[in-house]
Amino acid sequence: MDAVPQSELVLQTVGLKKRFGGVQAVNGVDLAVPLGDLRAIIGPNGAGKTTFFNLITGDLAHDSGHIYLRGEEVSGLAPHHLCRRGLGRTFQITSIFRRLSALENVQTALLSHYRRHYNLLAPARRLYRDDAFALLERVGLHEQAGKASGILSHGDQRRLEMAIALASAPRLLLLDEPTAGMAPRERHALMGLVSGIAHDTGLTVVFTEHDMDVVFATAKRITVLHQGSVLAEGAPAEVRTNPEVQRVYLGRPASGTH
Amino acid sequence: MGSRRALVVLLLLVVSLAPLALPPFFLQLLTEIAIVGLFATAFNLLMGFGGMVSFGHAAYFALGAYAPALLVRDAGVPMLLALPAAPMVAAAGALVFGFFIVRLTHTYFAMLSLAFAQIVFTVIFKWKSLTGGDDGLLDVWPPAYLKSPIAYYYFTLAMVGLSLLALHAIVDSPFGYMLKAARENPRRARSIGINVRRHQLLAFGISGAFSGLAGGLFAFYNGSVFPDFAYFTKSFEPLVVALLGGVQSFLGPLAGAFAFKVLEWLISRQWPVYWPLFLGATVVAVVVLLPQGFVGLFGRRVWMRYPSRS
Repeated sequence: MDAVPQSELVLQTVGLKKRFGGVQAVNGVDLAVPLGDLRAIIGPNGAGKTTFFNLITGDLAHDSGHIYLRGEEVSGLAPHHLCRRGLGRTFQITSIFRRLSALENVQTALLSHYRRHYNLLAPARRLYRDDAFALLERVGLHEQAGKASGILSHGDQRRLEMAIALASAPRLLLLDEPTAGMAPRERHALMGLVSGIAHDTGLTVVFTEHDMDVVFATAKRITVLHQGSVLAEGAPAEVRTNPEVQRVYLGRPASGTH
Repeated sequence: MGSRRALVVLLLLVVSLAPLALPPFFLQLLTEIAIVGLFATAFNLLMGFGGMVSFGHAAYFALGAYAPALLVRDAGVPMLLALPAAPMVAAAGALVFGFFIVRLTHTYFAMLSLAFAQIVFTVIFKWKSLTGGDDGLLDVWPPAYLKSPIAYYYFTLAMVGLSLLALHAIVDSPFGYMLKAARENPRRARSIGINVRRHQLLAFGISGAFSGLAGGLFAFYNGSVFPDFAYFTKSFEPLVVALLGGVQSFLGPLAGAFAFKVLEWLISRQWPVYWPLFLGATVVAVVVLLPQGFVGLFGRRVWMRYPSRS
């Protein structure tokens, strides 16, 4: 692939590599995600999905290659700088501020987004309250606003984390197994919510997911990772019928399941 | 909220009318409570709200005690002009040490903060020509108009009251929210654009400044300053006081200071030898039975709002 970044791409990685000791976890991944895409990244356990994610989010430093966000190189930037460049994310293990209320969780993210970090005197609880309520309403949590987020149900906590991520008004949202630990019906509801938000706001979404039903129902395009490299990429129908993918990943002909 | 406001108003009334009813000894006790309460509240900005346990806050208390004491004694600066040096010098020390300390977490954070405090202690102890070493600095008295127990009591009350207002505003400010977010989940905090370390460092500086003011107020109350102010046993005082009162409530450390000083007076008057034993047993009992501290006895709301990590 050409190393010159393409500006209509929201996310682009070029030759991204990461090695842990003797394991080449990510081995030269080229990925190009255009504006408005809803991209699933799938692959068997150990394919390098989470490592690849953590390279993009700045949690891990890559060994070589380049990462571009909206055409700008962001390799080596710390997570809090990446947020300001338009990267929002959720974590594989639900990551919220457990002893703050749901409303305060979202308010904190809004206060950070609007650069109020070093305001030492204004009463924060009155700031961006309506915006925070609107975000909670968007994910269906407005009635839980005053509750400590740590006592919400698992599914509600995942929705809250979505609202926190959306509060930073990201251009690219990375979801690392957003439906992990949820019941099948909840999974489809959550991903329906994600597609709805992406559709309404023009947000670009990249997500990893184990549940193939969810992947094929949600993704516009799918990238398959295998042993740290891209094995296949295409629309769900193409990926489903790709014999290589069936062989290494699905382990059986996938066409029969739908 | 309403009951809390009523409680604060009642408290203000009691402390401002106390001199009418109490003999000087109790005014001095209340003065000490106010100073220790400020020290512990400043400490708790880090522990309760920032999730950072410092084992070395005596350093900032001592810097705040020595700075104005030296200005008054050696440079002839009037006390009211010298006192602002207490928070300023302490904040400077806290920002320099904090720069290194906030790079670490948990035990390592605590140990490095302790190490820096021991350095401050050693410097004060050894630098005889400046600090008087082991002999300390004597004759550090406020001017005549503040010298009576009543006058100094009101002065301390005003300074501590203003400081607590400022600290309370900080806790409830956007910065306070960022600090709590960093305490709850640093990774999440970073991913919403918070520079966690820088917020922790600023909190360290603020905490150091108010600890220093407590030290300065204590210097002129005590009339002298000693190297022990920086010794590690002094560092445990705000920790114990905050734990007694409750670290998850803003007023917890103040309540803890009251309990600590009153108990100390009651016990050590009768059985001075057993005070440390009694204090230790009390701390164990409070930590085990009342994880919210003494303020946890009043209402369960705090408990329900803050579920423990599951």
